[in-house]
Amino acid sequence: MSADQISAAIQNLPYFTAVRESGLLYPVILSSHLTMIALFGGLILLTDLRLLNVAMKSIPASVVVAKTRPWKHAGLMIMLLLGIHLGGAKFQDYYDNPYFLMKMSLLVCVFIHAMVFRRSVYKNPAALDSPAGPPAAAKVAATLSLVIWVSILSCGRMIAYWDNPNNQPGKAPLIPAGHTYGRSR
Amino acid sequence: MLIPYDITQNPLNTNEWSFPLMECIHIAMFAMSIGTIAVVDFSLLGLLFKQRSPAEVLRATSIWTLIGLVVVVSTGMIIFTTDPLSYYYNWSFRYKLMALLVAIVFNYTIHRKVAMSNSSGAARVMTGAFSLLLWSSVVFAGIFYAFTEELPYVGGPN
Repeated sequence: MSADQISAAIQNLPYFTAVRESGLLYPVILSSHLTMIALFGGLILLTDLRLLNVAMKSIPASVVVAKTRPWKHAGLMIMLLLGIHLGGAKFQDYYDNPYFLMKMSLLVCVFIHAMVFRRSVYKNPAALDSPAGPPAAAKVAATLSLVIWVSILSCGRMIAYWDNPNNQPGKAPLIPAGHTYGRSR
Repeated sequence: MLIPYDITQNPLNTNEWSFPLMECIHIAMFAMSIGTIAVVDFSLLGLLFKQRSPAEVLRATSIWTLIGLVVVVSTGMIIFTTDPLSYYYNWSFRYKLMALLVAIVFNYTIHRKVAMSNSSGAARVMTGAFSLLLWSSVVFAGIFYAFTEELPYVGGPN
């Protein structure tokens, strides 16, 4: 079985087929996915800005990290659940889409990032609340987090702009000439 | 045509990267603006930063909300120029604009007042919940734009 056949089998599961062919459910899932970016992406952004010592300075960094943690975890779970629906329903189109693959790799980086900075930053309230501001490690962690998350949402958006050359023999440009970008997306 | 304007000459329609780039900035900045407002809403609902007052959370986030709003509205207007008529003749877009206007006014009047005062539980909860719903609906309308049939053109070019 080729990767293409496996992907087709996944996207053609009755459940994913129903999601793909529903008139309303698919856009609702997509909208919810984007709303989660707003609700929980904002928490990630604020935490990063707090670790960089530029936002919410009246609240100790350790408090911001600890209090937002359960919400970020919940948000990530909802986000992944919605994303599995979106990706699964169109998996044959997505599995070899370079932006989709980049996005998935970056999501792995989120996990690695959390592991790497867990002890030195996120579970280290004493260092976070030092009078001189969060330590250098916290600023590195925050910067990397911002870069990774902005890249994830950018790749997520770009998935829609990659036309699979396999679907269009003899036509391989990223976006076909004369395409009106705003209308069809 | 009242204003001579050819969308095919718009740099966003002639360059393959500029439109998606604008969208990415738009998404990142609505995460910042709506995300920071949502933090205040969570605080009003008593779900986040329970030891702090919503007033303190609002003061700590308001500048980031404002920066986000300025950039997200600006990039939104730039995106709008790529095909103004199809946006105008789309009910989802019309709803989005009205809801956005209401949401911004609400954010700087009632929402702000309730967050800054030590209002009662009910007023706080209602304000936080309404704000979350209203802003979420703006995001929903932004996505539904692409899934919505255009309204019939009235006196339009077609």
